[in-house]
Amino acid sequence: MPKRSSPRARRQAALLRLTTAIASATDETDVYRSMVEGLHDEALGYNFLGAFLLEERSGDRVLQASVGWPDVPPHYRAPRGQGLSERALEDGQLHYTPDVTRAVGYLPSPARGSEVDVPLRVDGRVIGVLVVESPERNAFGAEDFEILTAAANQASIAIGRARLLAEERRRVDEHKALLDTMADLSSDLELPRVLQAVLNRAVTLLGVTGGEVAIYDEETEQLAVAASQNIGKDSTGTRLALGEGAMGHVARTREPLIIPSYHEWLGRSGQYADVTVHSVMAAPLLIGRRLVGAIASVHSDPNRIFGSEDLRLLTMFAPQAAIAIENARLYTASRRQKQYFEELVSNSPVAIVTLDTNHDVVSCNPAFETLFGYSQVEATGRNLDDLVTTAATRSEAIQYTQQGLERPIHGIGRRRRKDGTLVDVELLAVPVIVDGERVGLMGLYHDISELLEARRGAEAASSAKSQFLASMSHELRTPLNAIIGYSEMVQEEVEDLGQPQLVSDLTKIQTAGRHLLALINDILDLSKIEAGRMELYLETFELGTLVEEVATTVRPLVKKNANQLVVELPQRPGTMHADLTKVRQMLLNLLSNACKFTERGTITLTVRRQRDDVLLAVRDTGVGMTAKQMERLFEAFAQAEASTTSKYGGTGLGLAITKRFSHMMGGDVTVMSEPGMGSTFTVRLPGKVA
Amino acid sequence: MRILLVEDNEMNRDMLSRRLQKKGYDVTMAVDGRQGVEMAKSGGYDLVLMDMSLPEIDGWEATRQLRAVPETRNLPIIGLTAHAMAGDREKALEAGCNDYDTKPVELPRLLAKIEALLSPPK
Repeated sequence: MPKRSSPRARRQAALLRLTTAIASATDETDVYRSMVEGLHDEALGYNFLGAFLLEERSGDRVLQASVGWPDVPPHYRAPRGQGLSERALEDGQLHYTPDVTRAVGYLPSPARGSEVDVPLRVDGRVIGVLVVESPERNAFGAEDFEILTAAANQASIAIGRARLLAEERRRVDEHKALLDTMADLSSDLELPRVLQAVLNRAVTLLGVTGGEVAIYDEETEQLAVAASQNIGKDSTGTRLALGEGAMGHVARTREPLIIPSYHEWLGRSGQYADVTVHSVMAAPLLIGRRLVGAIASVHSDPNRIFGSEDLRLLTMFAPQAAIAIENARLYTASRRQKQYFEELVSNSPVAIVTLDTNHDVVSCNPAFETLFGYSQVEATGRNLDDLVTTAATRSEAIQYTQQGLERPIHGIGRRRRKDGTLVDVELLAVPVIVDGERVGLMGLYHDISELLEARRGAEAASSAKSQFLASMSHELRTPLNAIIGYSEMVQEEVEDLGQPQLVSDLTKIQTAGRHLLALINDILDLSKIEAGRMELYLETFELGTLVEEVATTVRPLVKKNANQLVVELPQRPGTMHADLTKVRQMLLNLLSNACKFTERGTITLTVRRQRDDVLLAVRDTGVGMTAKQMERLFEAFAQAEASTTSKYGGTGLGLAITKRFSHMMGGDVTVMSEPGMGSTFTVRLPGKVA
Repeated sequence: MRILLVEDNEMNRDMLSRRLQKKGYDVTMAVDGRQGVEMAKSGGYDLVLMDMSLPEIDGWEATRQLRAVPETRNLPIIGLTAHAMAGDREKALEAGCNDYDTKPVELPRLLAKIEALLSPPK
């Protein structure tokens, strides 16, 4: 059971509640409400009361909070020049009206007795009035005046603070908004100014002597003081290690700190030995959990001490400073990156242009100016396709530009310079997407005139070479035919005449002649392939017939080295649609190779079908090859060793031709081999060459 | 058996004609396509050996002309080219040759082809 207390004690308890309520009000409205509700306490006995705020613009008093006036609307206006409470606004004094019915200008109210009007002041200016009424006449006395004045004063202070806080919050929001959109406004130079402004406001609002803001440098792990106000010296530029001094301490602990008596504090920094501060309050500046700096405020007045409310206020400034520091850092980083990319673009030997979605030039680099002859100024805002196309390339260029807005494209084309001359370019276009929005495209142009010129030259030279080889082969063949033919004739004569010692010499002439002829024919084939003049004559033929024919042709060669030929055919080999002559030539090439490099072994010709493909494999049990020998196997004149030619004969062109023929028909030829284990060459061709 | 050899190269002509004559054939020679066509049309030949690369009219055109007239429509013709390039055989057969061979000739092979064309179909 609570002890029954005296009326006086209860009044004092009510006043304490009132004071506490006002002090803990979070905003101005809350202050008015706390005031009138606190006064409307049973122990105090004020039953009809209201708090008015003077509206500067109209001069009206606008009701903010009330008790006992059930008929009065929430934001009731007492018009300017009417009502008793006007007087308190005019002279800033407390006014007592013992009998309202006799007073001039009284606005009717339910409590028609007496009234007290107490002005509310902030910073010396009257901002409103507290009106207390009683249905009885002469209801108020000196003690009431004292209580009401005290309540009004407390409320006034609270209102002043609430207004400052609201103002500061607004500034925080504004500041944050400003810094969020900083990029072009903010800069390194701006940061100390911003921090100084934040510090100045903090010092004013906290009612402290001075303070400091420091930036944390992650590389050196030090704090650098960036703003300083009234701490007994200009500390700007001072560097503090983590843990050094008040700011160093909070930077390390990441927790705010109040030091009631700085000169007795063991953690103080030698760099602050000469300052005359009494107490210190410091807080870390954090972005998330990352330290970006520290803020401190100081009292040099020994009678002032820091409390939790001060700490709350200080921590309100911390984000402002933290955001300013972070944004400056981000800005510097992004500016550096921007500069870096701008440097890349402007020094790029490749012409770079950016377009908006209308294909108008947004920017271009010096290489673009050089390539097309338009200056940045001339090009900017103009339609790119208007600038650099001719009538002939316009539709193609527009298509590229349109596609480039959608997806990366790559192409080669001819474009027009400002002076009307044409230039061959390789072009690359990619869409530019910012925050998910397609804003245009970036185009890259590379001058390939020289490259194309060189290529045309090379192609012409290559074609001339092939032409030369073709005609030379033809010219060489005619006399060679005679050599071979006449030596054959003479050989027949000699045989008839019975002079065998001449026969072997004539055979040598013939063999050499035929080898030379084969070489010339292969060179002619290769040069035709390389000149792109080798054509395909496609026909449908029986695989079985082809294999039989080839086997017959190659039989003499097989016997030469005492080899045996095995043919493996599927039961129904079926037909294929390809260039018969070339397929035959390929098989003969592979088989004659196998015969040459195999002695007393087996050569196997296998025909298989795999899905739509035909596989023709020639396997031997001959000398085989190392991996290194296989590397250049399919290149022209690349028999595994130069010496093999003399030992095994052959032109060294057969595999090169085989490979090219297979490619022409959409197939390939592969080899598997090991030294001493023989070799397997496999030609894979589409069953129906298209 | 009378063979008309159409060949512009003198040595080839000499060589082939002598070798065929040795085998018992009666060989007459023409030196270009036009002459070859005229002589073939005049009649009396059992077979034509036609080089394909000829001056005036080439072998393909000469063959086509011979196939276009009744008197030589069925005269056996063997096309000869210097090199068995892919397509040469097809082109020769398309022009109307009955068979085809490459130069330098391998006599046994050519003789087999000649014999095959001269022996009446059974």
